[in-house]
Amino acid sequence: MSENKRLLIIDDDPDFVEGIQSILEGADYIVDVKYNPRDGYEALEKNPPDLLLLDIMMGRGAEGIMLARKIRKDPVLREIPVLIITGIREQMAFLFPGEPVHPGFVAVDELVEKPVEPDFLLERVSALIEASEERKAQEG
Amino acid sequence: MDFEAKILIIDDEEIVLDSCEMILAGRNYEIFTAPNGTVGLETLKNVHPDLIFVDLKMPGISGFDVLESIQSIDPNIVCIVITGFATVSSAIEAMKKGAYDFLPKPFTPDELRLITRRGVDRRKLVLETIALRREKEMLRENFAAIISHELKSPLSAVQQNLYTLIAEISPVLNEDQNRRLERMKTRISDLIAMIRTWHRVFTADLDSIQEQFKPTSIGSVINNVVESIEPHATRKDIKIVTSIHEPMNHVEGDEVTLSEAIINIGNNAVKFSHIGEEVFIDAKQDEKNIIIAIRDNGVGISEDTLPYIFDDFYSGQKGSQGERGSGVGLAICRRIIEIHGGKISVESKIGQGSTFKIMLPAITGNESQETNSKAQTKVIP
Repeated sequence: MSENKRLLIIDDDPDFVEGIQSILEGADYIVDVKYNPRDGYEALEKNPPDLLLLDIMMGRGAEGIMLARKIRKDPVLREIPVLIITGIREQMAFLFPGEPVHPGFVAVDELVEKPVEPDFLLERVSALIEASEERKAQEG
Repeated sequence: MDFEAKILIIDDEEIVLDSCEMILAGRNYEIFTAPNGTVGLETLKNVHPDLIFVDLKMPGISGFDVLESIQSIDPNIVCIVITGFATVSSAIEAMKKGAYDFLPKPFTPDELRLITRRGVDRRKLVLETIALRREKEMLRENFAAIISHELKSPLSAVQQNLYTLIAEISPVLNEDQNRRLERMKTRISDLIAMIRTWHRVFTADLDSIQEQFKPTSIGSVINNVVESIEPHATRKDIKIVTSIHEPMNHVEGDEVTLSEAIINIGNNAVKFSHIGEEVFIDAKQDEKNIIIAIRDNGVGISEDTLPYIFDDFYSGQKGSQGERGSGVGLAICRRIIEIHGGKISVESKIGQGSTFKIMLPAITGNESQETNSKAQTKVIP
């Protein structure tokens, strides 16, 4: 379905990563995984993916958020769509399940809560990549 | 040197101060004295005593006023009044103002030692209670945060792999194997949902929950509840009988959170019912309140546990099939209902079943307009 789009997962929970990696690879995505924000940022800079799947609670707290902020400030990396996959929505801001993430908290394209249903994950990933390509096409 | 307690004695008679100091000397107390209320209160602020003796009859500020000042500075300091005119009424008045005990003059050394001992012990208990209360509060907050991360993360990882496995292998499994996998998925989902609710209700600050409130239909809350508890009920061959007496006004609240609370109680009703029984859910408006009653004819709650069932971490008896709760469900329900300005109560008899009653303030016509205009003013910068 996808012309081998490249995804990067940054998450410090290898078991969880295996779960989503298998789904994504099953849908013919090329998946790269980094298990901490530092390696993740390096991988982003070296070879920007078509989409970033980012965990929030890593290292000593919400290091995922810091990474998301850093990406937003970078003129090149900011073009990459970011899908936040978080353990607890409430760590982002107080929310009821099913409601959109607080808009002012951190600029991300989408936030989903772990665990995520395979179909839903694939749908969100492809929608975000599509939207980002449309954006690029308009700008270019 | 580490003293067991700091004691301040406020009395205008020098001989009383001296003799008290002498009697209590060598007992590991640090003694401070003051000849009047003004000096006494100043000393208090400097030395933070554990126990204070105050003479009721002094020139200048009276003992009663000193007592009141001490209460306003630190109500946890133990005060014992010394009454020269040993009238019961002044002692009682002092105790009404917060004194722990009274010591009538003249007193023997043993009487002073004994009452001091009791005062110091009292202070220890007071401090311990404060520490425990604080600890409980911290435990509640931190525990919820730890739970959310430490428990939910592994569960999410398990569930994520289960999702993936089901997608990958379900075509080659037989119906029964698939059913068991789906069942596992449901059980883990329930656990994750419970952790999520718990985390939210116990750590979220109440104002931010209330900010999200909007007029909510109790009818649709009850529909959510029935939808959620029906599968469990069906497995035990239990019928859910609802009667919703419309028209009912809306309540100011959050549908998801309110549903969670009532689902919890509904699930309990099913859990504590015997196979083949019925669970009744009624909702009606009673003047200014919406009353929701969840009734079962199940095992019931014993009289001695009834007062504690809404407490944090209290886990009652097992369900009719040995199901056991986590001890947090009803505490969360209580909090959710209280956040909504409501009340929850229970009546129960062993062997006859339980009725949980939830009372929520209904929105009257005027109020609902008010909330609308409030919401609008929020949007306009």
